[in-house]
Amino acid sequence: MIVYFTVIMLFGTYFGRYNRSTKDFFFGGRRFAWWLIAFSIVATGVGSHSFVKYSAKGFEHGISSTMTYINDWFFVPFFMFGWLPIIVYTKIRSIPEYFEKRFSPSARFLATILLLFYMIGYIGIGFLTLGKAAMPMLPESFSLFGSVYPITLMGVIIIIAVITGIYITFGGQTAVIFTDLLQGFILLFAGLLLFFFGLDYLGGFGVFWDILPTEWKMPLARFNEPSDFNFVGIFWQDGIAGSIGFLFMNMGLVMRFMATKSVNEGRKAAAFNILFMLPISAIVVGNAGWVGKAISVIQPDVVPPNTSPDQIFVVVANIVSHPGVFGFIMAALTAALMSTVDTLINATAAIYINDVHRPVKKFIKAKLLSEKETDKRELSAARYSSIAITMLGVLSVLAFKSFPTVYEAHGYFHSTLTPPLVVAIFLGVFWRRFTPAAVISTFVGGVALMILGAFYPSVLIAPFDHGIQMDPSHPYSYIRAFYNLFVCMAIALMVTFTTSHQKSFIERLKAGDNHRQIMTIITTISVLIFISMLVVLNLTSAGWVIPVYMILVFVMSYIVSLSVTYYVKYDEKNNTEGLTAWSLTRAKEMFKGSKLNEREGEKAYVNWKLKEGEDDTVNLSRKALETMAADVGDLVYICDTRGYLGGLKSCHSVIGEPHEEDGIIYINEEHKQTGLFVEGRKLYAEKEM
Amino acid sequence: MPSFFNSWLPFIYLYGVGGLLFLSGMVIARKSGALNMQRKTHRYWYKVLIFGYFYFVFIHAFLTIAALYW
Repeated sequence: MIVYFTVIMLFGTYFGRYNRSTKDFFFGGRRFAWWLIAFSIVATGVGSHSFVKYSAKGFEHGISSTMTYINDWFFVPFFMFGWLPIIVYTKIRSIPEYFEKRFSPSARFLATILLLFYMIGYIGIGFLTLGKAAMPMLPESFSLFGSVYPITLMGVIIIIAVITGIYITFGGQTAVIFTDLLQGFILLFAGLLLFFFGLDYLGGFGVFWDILPTEWKMPLARFNEPSDFNFVGIFWQDGIAGSIGFLFMNMGLVMRFMATKSVNEGRKAAAFNILFMLPISAIVVGNAGWVGKAISVIQPDVVPPNTSPDQIFVVVANIVSHPGVFGFIMAALTAALMSTVDTLINATAAIYINDVHRPVKKFIKAKLLSEKETDKRELSAARYSSIAITMLGVLSVLAFKSFPTVYEAHGYFHSTLTPPLVVAIFLGVFWRRFTPAAVISTFVGGVALMILGAFYPSVLIAPFDHGIQMDPSHPYSYIRAFYNLFVCMAIALMVTFTTSHQKSFIERLKAGDNHRQIMTIITTISVLIFISMLVVLNLTSAGWVIPVYMILVFVMSYIVSLSVTYYVKYDEKNNTEGLTAWSLTRAKEMFKGSKLNEREGEKAYVNWKLKEGEDDTVNLSRKALETMAADVGDLVYICDTRGYLGGLKSCHSVIGEPHEEDGIIYINEEHKQTGLFVEGRKLYAEKEM
Repeated sequence: MPSFFNSWLPFIYLYGVGGLLFLSGMVIARKSGALNMQRKTHRYWYKVLIFGYFYFVFIHAFLTIAALYW
């Protein structure tokens, strides 16, 4: 494992040389082929839904542990033909930036807060899982220079955080993509190898299948019981909130898709990942639990039925594999967990730079620097922020330690933190009428109703529970996602459908003399309602609290919508153009900066020569332009012809004036350095649009 | 043998409620013009999307039948 960590750290640090700007650090220069991204996503996805977690559920409930991996397709049309093209064509660097463009700076501010909570919490969950997975493999203490030191969960987490922090800080997104690619292959191989060994140990697939009770073979869990693992709760928590969160607001994953060379490549990566890699991953992460269950039935002395579910992965791996293979499988397990954490740290650093660092610099009117100097400083800030985020992630572990299992901690976390952002992004992308007033009211009012639900689950969440029994110690860990989505959506719809009323109210108000004072009072009332709710909920649980605060929260949401309508300048045409699924052609035109050329052409294979000057165009022959069906001014992607590099040596540019030297492309020094093109190596040029 | 409530009902719920969401995604993508059926690549993606839905229906139906009767 030590060798493994050293290799991975060096591997990640090596790819640091591909970072020439923050664009490279965060997005890998938008250059990669779909297959490379599809495989690197495996490590990210599998890491977050770890071997430990799903093996535990596989051991407790059987093959239904796979269901969270096979329920993501419902939102793929929305992703492929809505969110993905929008994030690429609008050139946003973070999800909150979309909120500013689509709504307002205040919407961006609130989205940043919610997203940072989500991302840092996610990192914390990752570290907690890492620590829990590593603990059974380590001794209780170690001695150094004669002193004995106990090995604690937090100590293990801190050491792993330091290792993760080093390569992400110096490597950036390209490092993440390549380490994840390597780790993805390793963990798929290791997981399938373990299944193979397990089946061999049991005497073949037929024996394994016959041993498992029917209940354990079902691919979907029991409808509404038990409360800690049931179909309907997990459908709303993972299939709905989790899937939208995974595809739309998991900045780590979104950035990975943004690192593909084009939108179409991003679609291919997403489709391949969800159709093929996720079902395979479901087997990879859960099979140790199924095998453990089968062994516990026929050899209860080898795997006692009361084995701790969280330890079943390690127990089974130890029983069915040889010592060397066991070490390899453990390294793969750790690899999977690290992959998730490194992706999230990189993504959270991107949010910090784009949504905190830059706006703050702008606000304090920092002195104007050249673009290159600014970029250099931001790259350095990105590296420092990665370190800080890693530390915050470690601290956030403390908030999740109290949950009985990582699975429940993760489920509760998803159900609670994703709904407001999920509703806001979803309606923002697909509904032109959705306004800044509606999105901010959704954040404020939605969160308020969610807090009420958290305090009174037996009254407010119970109507949504589909018959699930409430566990008083952790009430409605999963199905609360349904309630939370419902209340956020209710506020969003209420405010959007009353937009004309808000506008006419504000117009009438502005016609008077004292509109500023009235608005200040109204805004203060909304703040007071929110604060009083927090205070009252902590002081009393009297019967009047629920009806009174349900009404007050709706009133507050409406007041917030009036304040936003008053203070925020919003032009529906400008703020939706190119920013919703209804205007994607316009988004592409804005991305290109001129009219689209959508004639279908082919790749042109060329040798490269350097040209003088810094003119940011490349020059191809007339014949090559004909092959590519391209015109001067079109966007072009230039790439080394070695397909196995997956686009690592490539860059984007604009087509300049053609020449007559067939088979030659003229590029400048910047193109050469960005693409790391090798002397004498052939390239291909492909029209982007 | 698990009852209908714990065997086929989750399947129906998954592809019924999920199917409604999937269908609304397809309708919005086509109506908004984001999925433009005039373009060859988009026609290809339209088929992939529909294939994907029934591919997962098949996987879950197959696994449920295998669990119950095999």
